Amino acid sequence: MLTTTPRGPAGMLVPAGSVVVPDWHKTQEAQRYFGAVLQRKKRKSFGLIERPVLPPLAQADMASYKVFVSGRSGVGKTALVASLGGLQVPSAHHETTGIQTTTVYWPAKLCQSGRALFFKFSFWDCGESMLKKFDHLLPACTEKVDGFLLLFSFTDRASFDDLPNQISRMRERAKNAIRIVIGTKFDQFAHTDVTERDIAAFRHAWGLPVLRAKSLSAPPLADRCSQGSHTGLSNVAHILNGLAEHLWRQDQWAAGLSLPLPGPKEPISAPLTGGSASGS
Amino acid sequence: MWEEGEDSVILLCLTASSGVPLYCRSRGGSVKQQLPFSVIGSLNGVHMFGSNLDVMLTAACTENTRVVWKVFHNSITLIVLSSDEGTSDFSLGKLLENVFSAMVLVLGLEELVNTRNVERLKKDLKACYKLIDSFLEPSKCSADLTQCVECAVMPSRAILQECLEAFASAAESRFGSLLTGGHVLCATEQWWQLAAQEAMLLMWLVRTLPPHTSRDLPVYLPHGSPTVPHRFLTFQLVPGLEVVLLCGPSPSLQFLADELVKQFWQPLLDLLKASARASPRCLLPSTSLAPGILGVLLINQDQRKSLFTVQPHGTWAEGSEMPLKNRLCALRSFYALVISLYFPSEKSEGTTVPLQEEFQAGFSHHPQHCYVVSATHKAYAVQGRRHQLFLLLKPDVPTFALRSLATSTLQALTTEDSAI
Repeated sequence: MLTTTPRGPAGMLVPAGSVVVPDWHKTQEAQRYFGAVLQRKKRKSFGLIERPVLPPLAQADMASYKVFVSGRSGVGKTALVASLGGLQVPSAHHETTGIQTTTVYWPAKLCQSGRALFFKFSFWDCGESMLKKFDHLLPACTEKVDGFLLLFSFTDRASFDDLPNQISRMRERAKNAIRIVIGTKFDQFAHTDVTERDIAAFRHAWGLPVLRAKSLSAPPLADRCSQGSHTGLSNVAHILNGLAEHLWRQDQWAAGLSLPLPGPKEPISAPLTGGSASGS
Repeated sequence: MWEEGEDSVILLCLTASSGVPLYCRSRGGSVKQQLPFSVIGSLNGVHMFGSNLDVMLTAACTENTRVVWKVFHNSITLIVLSSDEGTSDFSLGKLLENVFSAMVLVLGLEELVNTRNVERLKKDLKACYKLIDSFLEPSKCSADLTQCVECAVMPSRAILQECLEAFASAAESRFGSLLTGGHVLCATEQWWQLAAQEAMLLMWLVRTLPPHTSRDLPVYLPHGSPTVPHRFLTFQLVPGLEVVLLCGPSPSLQFLADELVKQFWQPLLDLLKASARASPRCLLPSTSLAPGILGVLLINQDQRKSLFTVQPHGTWAEGSEMPLKNRLCALRSFYALVISLYFPSEKSEGTTVPLQEEFQAGFSHHPQHCYVVSATHKAYAVQGRRHQLFLLLKPDVPTFALRSLATSTLQALTTEDSAI
């Protein structure tokens, strides 16, 4: 007889496009929803006591999630959050001297019900050396957290090798939070230090989704300013949709509404440190 | 030698005991201008040579560059070289003080004074670069020079003040302030008990950071708590308007952002939006100033807060007298001149030893008024009982009228209900 412990949703792979309609932001239907978060083709910023205002006929529910962005110093946590929020990407690297949070509203359409929904992500970003220096910051970041973005840089091998440490650090704190790995600076091919084979091996070993993000600040080109402040939604849609799908699926699972998708088998012996094989 | 630009500013930081360079920053980023090691060595050497002979070298100038030295706590030496035209020994001295305080704010005094590992300190100092660089850029305000927080006067200040006091006490904090565009709209009573420089630095910090929904930054207060960090929390209520708090270990950022902020501020949403849109004039709409006035700097000496504007008549129109940049520069230089030579310097906070022999010691009296007439503008300063007023005026305002114009302006600005 075979008894399987239900796989924690945190390690679940949700295939892209299985929960929300991919590329929905390009459709005509989505325009009135995106109209509420855009202003003159730029992302509108909202204060804490505001929220997007929709036309009367286009009401949508709001699903709020707290997401902690983790990764070694200099991998591009702040830059990634800025680009997800449609903000000016910093031109030079500066250590973040504490926690800073950014709220991003993202409309999406659920495949199953055809219902439009607003996702409200609060991205929590904290300088890695500050985390080490001040003990109170990490608990603050992981308090009631719903998801982790684990970042590594394609141009920094050490940041990739550090992922297992990041994962185990998170596992102790929030067991039910989803985890997504994001490789930054994916477009700097000349400096790539992490190969597709590494990614495949990692994905196999850990069963975590791996997404890719372009670097938006690195090339010192003349048009960087215009590029940084207004990168279209297309550059970040796959990340925000991916995040939305995992968080939504996790909520459904927690509420007992859907069974977890069959994920890949847990490895018997994890090739990377920190991995623990769950017994059956 | 290094490329000397028209208005280059270069800042050097070394350990005082061994002269090891900790960092070098310059206006417009660090990459452009790195001083050769020999120059750094000589600049430090000449200062050290003096101090070995009990001579304190404070400043020097060449044809187009000024150099100012300053040692902090016998452990950190800061040297600044500036070829910016509008600069003075006074403003460079303030710059060095601000830079050191910024280093304390981020790292704490302990790490700077008792350095065990220089390489480690060098690495940690990188976290301050952004704040330090912001002091090297041409300033858009007066707070770095006066070390007084700049305020904006609003008709609805009383409501905001009440809400802020309630919000701060619910958050277990006595220090709270409401900021818009680098100006204080209102602050709790206790906020004004912070050392002037601390309040200024905290605001400066907020201004240099890109917009975020909320922040939780560990800070060391250079005067009040240089070795024990506090939490500096900021919440963006609406774009362009933030409420900030100084807190102890609790409550958590999450709780404040999710619960208290909405509870206290949501009812005032419309008022807050209107306040965030307020003009850069900083004055009440009802205040009208003489048309000849191009810029105003009013300082409340007791509370160390200020009103500063170079657009006293609302938005600046193309083709009007003096570009804003020049107005700013002229008013700042005038302030530096008057404070360093004529008016008794701001109530000393006990730390600053006068670097130069007091010029006014040569007078048998304390000047109460002071003016400057130049081809492009006139400027007039009044020392009141609690306030200092610095005015920048059009050159066609008759000189004999300056005095009465300045006294009546001071009167008007300080007797209003919502005067600072």
